[in-house]
Amino acid sequence: MALEDYRNYVKRCARCSYCKWIPLAHVKSWRFAKGCPSVSYKNFQSYSAGGRVAVANSLLEGRIEYSDGLLDIVYQCLMDGSCDIADKTCRYYVEPLEIMRELRFKLVEDGQILPQHMPLIDSLRKEDNMVMGKRTDRGKWSEGLDVKDLTQEKAGVVFHGGCQIGFDEKLAEIGRTSINLMRSAGVDIGIFPGQAESCCAGRAYDIGYKGELAKFAESNMDAWKNAGVKTVVTACADCYWAFKSLYPQYGSTFEVLHVVEYIHRLIKEGKIKFSKEVPMTVTYHDPCHLGRLGEKYEPWDGKERKILGQLILFDPPRPQNNGANGIYDEPREILKAIPGIELIEMERIREYAWCCGAGGCVNEAYPEFSEYTARERIEEAKSTKAQALVTACTHCYDNFNQYVDGDDNLAVYDILELVKKAI
Amino acid sequence: MTLSREVYKALEDIVGEDNITDEPATMDSYAYQLWAEMRKSGDCFLPPPDAALLPCSTEEVQAIVKVCNKYKLKYKAYSTGWGVHGGSLKPGWIQLDMRRMDKILELDSKNNYAVIEPYVIGAQLQAEAMKVGLNTHLIGAGSLTSPLAAATSFYGIGPDSLYMGMAHENVLGVEWVLPDGEILRLGSFGSDCGWCCGEGPGPSLNGLYRGPVGAAGGLGVFTKCAIKLYPWPGPKEMPITGKIPVYRAELPELIRGHTVAWSTWEGFRDALYKIFDNDIGYVAHRQYILWGDRLQGATLQILTDPDRTIDDIEQFIGTDKSEKLSDELYRSFQLVVVGQTKRDIDFQEKVLDQILAETGGWKVQFLEEKDNANWSLLYMLRLCYKGMNYVYRGGYSDHMVRAGTPDILTTGAMEQMKEGMDNFAKRTGLIMDHGGDAAMGGMGGIGGGGYPGFENFGFYDQADPDSVRAGRELGDEGGFKAAHVVSGGYSIFYMEEDEVKKGIKEIANPRIWRYQRQLKEAIDPNDCGAGGWFILDEESIEDALRIQEERRPKK
Repeated sequence: MALEDYRNYVKRCARCSYCKWIPLAHVKSWRFAKGCPSVSYKNFQSYSAGGRVAVANSLLEGRIEYSDGLLDIVYQCLMDGSCDIADKTCRYYVEPLEIMRELRFKLVEDGQILPQHMPLIDSLRKEDNMVMGKRTDRGKWSEGLDVKDLTQEKAGVVFHGGCQIGFDEKLAEIGRTSINLMRSAGVDIGIFPGQAESCCAGRAYDIGYKGELAKFAESNMDAWKNAGVKTVVTACADCYWAFKSLYPQYGSTFEVLHVVEYIHRLIKEGKIKFSKEVPMTVTYHDPCHLGRLGEKYEPWDGKERKILGQLILFDPPRPQNNGANGIYDEPREILKAIPGIELIEMERIREYAWCCGAGGCVNEAYPEFSEYTARERIEEAKSTKAQALVTACTHCYDNFNQYVDGDDNLAVYDILELVKKAI
Repeated sequence: MTLSREVYKALEDIVGEDNITDEPATMDSYAYQLWAEMRKSGDCFLPPPDAALLPCSTEEVQAIVKVCNKYKLKYKAYSTGWGVHGGSLKPGWIQLDMRRMDKILELDSKNNYAVIEPYVIGAQLQAEAMKVGLNTHLIGAGSLTSPLAAATSFYGIGPDSLYMGMAHENVLGVEWVLPDGEILRLGSFGSDCGWCCGEGPGPSLNGLYRGPVGAAGGLGVFTKCAIKLYPWPGPKEMPITGKIPVYRAELPELIRGHTVAWSTWEGFRDALYKIFDNDIGYVAHRQYILWGDRLQGATLQILTDPDRTIDDIEQFIGTDKSEKLSDELYRSFQLVVVGQTKRDIDFQEKVLDQILAETGGWKVQFLEEKDNANWSLLYMLRLCYKGMNYVYRGGYSDHMVRAGTPDILTTGAMEQMKEGMDNFAKRTGLIMDHGGDAAMGGMGGIGGGGYPGFENFGFYDQADPDSVRAGRELGDEGGFKAAHVVSGGYSIFYMEEDEVKKGIKEIANPRIWRYQRQLKEAIDPNDCGAGGWFILDEESIEDALRIQEERRPKK
């Protein structure tokens, strides 16, 4: 679908403001009731999903023209989807996240490009990554690992490290731990080492570069197919979302699992056992792309029809995509299975979790907004009195670590680090 | 129109450059408003404001208002800003978006009140109040609206009005930036005696500044107010279960939700009187009828199932279960009974059972089933699902408002409302054919009971200009013209100034508008407070009174 196809949707926005809050049923306090980081930070109506839908409407009606202000409105958003699920609590069918994404596609198609994004896209096009690393530096994380090289051998499972693990030594250990845990549990797993692995392109898609996704999806799927891969495993929630939710539109039928799903499975099967105590109170941050955006996305390209005069139905029925089937329980069950760990929940969790601030390439384009968003979550984590904030996404982990400071008395962990401590 | 650089700079100096903009895309985000398309133009955008500002303090609001007076500039403040009445209704206005003033300043659990700023929403206030065993009145539009706005500036009825009254009954002390920029503090707060009393010691102008429906920004900006809170014997946190989108509240035995129904309007009427007389109930609302009397059975089954969507409705329409449920629910309302003690809840339940026995009523079994009952309890207590008004994917307009004593139910008004809507839908095909009665409303419009009120929902498609026009025509047929059937009926959300002026003659007593007009003339010398048509001119009021006098039967 294109933005033009959402004409009816944008006219049907009730401008209710549900998009600005977590689902109202779950409001537990004044402090942590807001759901949308963008409008919470910028405050003007145009920075809410409802505001952006109105802007899309205005653009379609030819009422406004492109401007720097419009680009700022469109791009100063984490694409975290909080708005989308809050609206769907009331069974709205406006699909604000899709509309915001289509706005970005349209801007890029029309050459309305945010300058801050250009280095990222250049890096993707030239170096196959969005972290501005040299292609030749990719893959140092896996040197010395006892794991199949899928350019030479075949395996049923591929571990996709992704750009962050591929280039950031701080995050590399998450990749190595993933491999070691799965190998020791007897999983037939391989990787595409070094330059043989490339970006998932999910973040490029998220900022409007739809064509890049198509290119990388085809390339990655070809590589997996040639290596006999049936299951794709990753520790990055963004990659997970790209593989699970976006690649099917290009024909992907691979099973896609986040590493927490695989580890959870191995624990249940008794193939991973914990022997050490990790005495710690922790709170868990649901990554957007593993949680509400991490459910299998079923693209819909149907039509409207009306019955009883003006009751509008979608034909065929439209999937809900409301975050109900995200990955929420597996990481929590892993944490609860680790001896000594006490899990204390924050107020905004599961499908209505607050974003870490790294979504939609905002950390690169709008670092102050990214910092505000991360700090909000850090404050929420601190309010639980937990000793550590645990997540299951390299982007969340990286962003929290960037903005947490010593005075917070809050450690930040990837869940695999705690799993490793307990074995 | 655009602001001169001089004026823009003067305003920017007050709020800072990050908190003012005249960027066209942002202006259109403010111009897009609920029901804007229901105006004669059919345009879903109001005139864009010349600028939008985000003040963060009373002092900033005061300074903005003074600049507006200096330059004869109209300003319109809104809190959550849902509806045309909050927007910029005419060109050349500026919009004050109050969302940076979002604090609960005080929550006094001994004296049962909270002091709030404009952008605190009902869900936030309720969540904080519940922590200390209290609750707040929520207006019918739901818990994402501003209690301050409802209390000071607009309508304020809600499902819990039976127990907690209407919003204006709950407003205590008020801080008010007058239209000329002066600050007036009302009630006990005005005499520096705290916030606890709306009537003083200190000045009391509640009736004047509110007028019949609130001034919607026409009398300056209310920056703080104290809201009266009520006992809540439930848990400190709403205990939510269920999978999105079907969240439920698992509440203890002291809190019980029922849907009570009758086969005759007489039974419904008599039960309401008895409920009022016996002083039972916490929430009383005719809610699920809003999906239409013939469709509510089918729709309710979908909305209580997390795996269903409205696309499944054809599987439910016409089934025996749906038909039976719709029939059962036709003359029904939702009743939440809350006991402060076990003895209290047992007593209230016993009284309710006796009332049902005496009036031929019953509890609807579908909504007594645990999961459905808990879904319904959450709906009624948190009002978190009010957006389900849009579940048919289009918009709605509420028409043919009826309000009065419970006797209204047996005057023929309900049948007239149903037939009017049903005939219109079948004749035009341009609004939804849901059976004709989608008349949702509170059953106790005044604290302790009093009167039920109904708004009949007509569903139209905002994306279809013909359907939008039909939505308007339905209002023309059923709005003001029908209002004289019972007292107090009016529906001016989306009517334009000339329509309101013409329609005011149908209001039971147009004099109720007069004092607010006189107040405005006294305190807004430059007419900068932009209330739109919510403060009517004297000529229109006189005209309406004259017509009413001419209509009066001669002795």
